[in-house]
Amino acid sequence: MAANKQQGLWFGWFLAGLTAACAGLAGISGSLGKLALVLGLLALAASAVKFMAIKKLEGPIALGSQPAVMKIVGLAVTIAGWLVVLFGLHLSKAVGGRMVIAIVGLVISLIGPLAILPAACNKNAIWKA
Amino acid sequence: MKKSVSRFLLCVVLALACLTVAHADTSATAQLKAAAAAAPSTAALQQGDPGGTLTGTINDVPAADSKVGVTVADVANQVGQNKIGINFTWTLVCGFLVMFMQAGFAMVEAGLCRVKNANHTYMMNFTVYTCGLFAYWLIGFAIQMGGAAGNGNLGGLQTLNGEHVLSLFGVTWGLFGMKGLLLSGHTYDVGVMVIFLFQMVFMDTALTIVTGAAAERWKFLTFCVSSVLMGAFTYPLFANWAWGGGWLAQLGVNAGLGKGYSDFAGSGVVHAVGGLTALAVALIIGPRIGKFNRDGSGNAIIGHDISAVLIGCFILAFGWFGFNPGSTLGASAAGCLRIGSVAVNTMLAGCTGTFGAMLYMWAFKGKPDASMSANGLLAGLVAITAPSGFVNPTSSAIIGFIAGVLVCLSVSFIENKLKVDDPVGAISVHGACGLWGVLSVGLFADGKSNYGGSWNGVTGSVTGLFYGDASQLVAQLVGIATLVGFVFTFSFLLNWILDVVLGQRVSAASEIEGLDIPEMGQLGYPEFVFKPEPAFMLAAERVSVA
Repeated sequence: MAANKQQGLWFGWFLAGLTAACAGLAGISGSLGKLALVLGLLALAASAVKFMAIKKLEGPIALGSQPAVMKIVGLAVTIAGWLVVLFGLHLSKAVGGRMVIAIVGLVISLIGPLAILPAACNKNAIWKA
Repeated sequence: MKKSVSRFLLCVVLALACLTVAHADTSATAQLKAAAAAAPSTAALQQGDPGGTLTGTINDVPAADSKVGVTVADVANQVGQNKIGINFTWTLVCGFLVMFMQAGFAMVEAGLCRVKNANHTYMMNFTVYTCGLFAYWLIGFAIQMGGAAGNGNLGGLQTLNGEHVLSLFGVTWGLFGMKGLLLSGHTYDVGVMVIFLFQMVFMDTALTIVTGAAAERWKFLTFCVSSVLMGAFTYPLFANWAWGGGWLAQLGVNAGLGKGYSDFAGSGVVHAVGGLTALAVALIIGPRIGKFNRDGSGNAIIGHDISAVLIGCFILAFGWFGFNPGSTLGASAAGCLRIGSVAVNTMLAGCTGTFGAMLYMWAFKGKPDASMSANGLLAGLVAITAPSGFVNPTSSAIIGFIAGVLVCLSVSFIENKLKVDDPVGAISVHGACGLWGVLSVGLFADGKSNYGGSWNGVTGSVTGLFYGDASQLVAQLVGIATLVGFVFTFSFLLNWILDVVLGQRVSAASEIEGLDIPEMGQLGYPEFVFKPEPAFMLAAERVSVA
């Protein structure tokens, strides 16, 4: 389908919605601010719906399906490593102990983007066909 | 009796003190009057001042009351305004330099892409400026700097006093700022405008990194929306934690980890955020048609203009003199005279980074590869960005050289092991070397810097492991874990949602044709005669369309 008028129109709506929502947040204490926030969110929702509708018009893409569950597992592992670092820092007062915890957490985190997610995203890659 | 005597003596001492102060005051006033009398007359100035000895005198100090003339208070006010004026000028000019880096990024990225995608790649680099700026004005700046009051270099920025905090483990941790949406209300302030401009161009640098990794296959609409959201949320959130008074900066005060997470000019905040988002998008969007063969081996897809790449790199290196030295946010007071040291560190790391990459390629692959040498320069500059304000020149050279070698290894790892297609090496240059830069602060910071006696609210200078403070390295590791664990995950989720709603990738037909016509409506170079694609590419294109 490539770029077209529909995309331009609804990207404009997206920007208008974001602007109204942010203006609403800036003046949230007043009734006008609340109204702007609601209108902005509505415009954002409308643009999202239209984006989904026109997405179908795009032709076939050169990308195989990427298993969602595997991607979620990858993201979960990535964020779990970070949480190990955050909460593990309070398990030890010693610098050495904290450093070990930080390294362990970081290694766990790296498993996501360096192992699980590439495997997930390339599982059905078209170049394998 | 004794009490009376002591009271009498106290009165005498106070009277003497008052007389001394009054004398000093009279003396200062007299000196000011004498200076005014000795100042060159209008008639003298009308003769011209070729030597510059008559221009800039007490006559140029504005007096609050012209009848009284210039007073000590007037001089003191002028000194204060001069300090802030110098700092404003320095910060703004450095911001202008960083803004110009967009041109460098555009040339590097477009040069490394094929000619059939030149317009699209240039246009992404052009549009990312407006998308990012607009989003940052709307909300990004408020999230990042809305609670960053207290910068004495820029006049205090006292209107930015709205940090949302979380109480945990008995202390409060900053999460995001809340003042400055649309630069409205009390944030309509001269100092806030300066910090807005400077931080905005940094944010835009992070955004433009992603376009390189997703080049030649990213749907323009999705790129626009993704860039707006990154400028509004992803970048500002981490930047608040590191630079806006957020929890990473508070690791020193709250958890006793060195001077807290320290990132002088943004190896982590700018480059690693950009590089990790680039990795997230590149994973979701998949490799270009023909990049990988069925056995998993990679094909080199050569860019169309190496001259643009090398000139673009020089523009970037020039802009980096705004990036790093500008991050002092001033040239007067609070240790700002280290700007020379920061600038020298920057150029040295770029130099050794180039050598690192060039020598690696020459020694192990046989040729001093131009594109990898260019990436080596950028790798050195990226890596020195975080430590540039805390390390000495020797350390800078080491950090840069390691980054130059690292970028070669990382490019190979990402392509051959992860099977991720990154046409310009953005993930390696900005992601891998950005993380290395953050880590290097914890190793090489020499404790000699002094930016007003403290950093992130902790007295003293940032000092790394090699100079005696291992806890700083832990703070940096926490920052790296946050970049990988949070920023990458957040970016991946955001772009995954965009993939579902908008679709990240152009159609196979558009990709084969080249994105210039389908996405932009016009060829970058309309008078070029395109060479036929190599055989491996034609075979891959047939499979993709089928």
